[in-house]
Amino acid sequence: MKARTGYSTSLKQEFLKKWIKGIRIYSNFKKDMNILERKKAIKLSADLAIASTRNASTRWSRTLTANISKNETNKIFVEQIFSDSEVIKKEAPSRLMARSNRIASKKIWRRSHITQIKARKMGPYAVKARSIAKKLVKNRTKVLKSLVPGGENMDGISLIKETLDYIVSLRVQVDVMRRLASAAENSTRSL
Amino acid sequence: MSSRRSRMRQAGVSRISEDQIADLVSKLQQLIPEIRNRRSDRVSASEVLQETCNYIKNLHREVDDLSDRLSQLLESIDSDSAQAAIIRSLLM
Repeated sequence: MKARTGYSTSLKQEFLKKWIKGIRIYSNFKKDMNILERKKAIKLSADLAIASTRNASTRWSRTLTANISKNETNKIFVEQIFSDSEVIKKEAPSRLMARSNRIASKKIWRRSHITQIKARKMGPYAVKARSIAKKLVKNRTKVLKSLVPGGENMDGISLIKETLDYIVSLRVQVDVMRRLASAAENSTRSL
Repeated sequence: MSSRRSRMRQAGVSRISEDQIADLVSKLQQLIPEIRNRRSDRVSASEVLQETCNYIKNLHREVDDLSDRLSQLLESIDSDSAQAAIIRSLLM
């Protein structure tokens, strides 16, 4: 996964192009849409477009695309968008599960052992304070995992890396959508 | 002794990844406006996590609101105006 800390004009342009393409394909699908259908077309296309700027190189983008494609009605639409570009890859959870179970049990043993050693050195109050802090971090990490697509199976460094990339992409998405919305509003107002 | 060697190796490995984590966390801090604008240098891990989660939730909500706005705009555009034709040809 290539690191991306700032966002360039070309990235915004790529997103805009793919987003508009998606909206067009969706509109060809459903000719007479009500306002809710239109919103869905706009939002779905935006999510697919921003995910596709990563070319399946990040977990969040693969998960986001896969989740959208799970819906039967969306699947046909997604296939049309990706017909000339990248393939929708499926995540392979089973292989990851076995390895992570082994690692998890090792971690549990090590953690209980270390806590005992620390309790002897630090004294009960410090141990309690630190364990509360750790619980806080653990709970908030859980929330973060639920917010980043595909985050549930990640931890530590990979989770932070995915989060960084995801946030940068979300900002591009919001920035371009906001500009289109204000441009559209200004143009109708100037009449 | 093999146990001491393995313990030292463990300590070496965890020191490297702690630096990596610190580097990534500082990158995260740069991204999140709430934390970047604060003067203090030391922000706790749980604060960074909380602000990150809030920031992502806000971004999600913005995407949703903007989708609402855009769909309403397309509905309310006067169908005869030249601008409407431009926007419609762009999006539809």
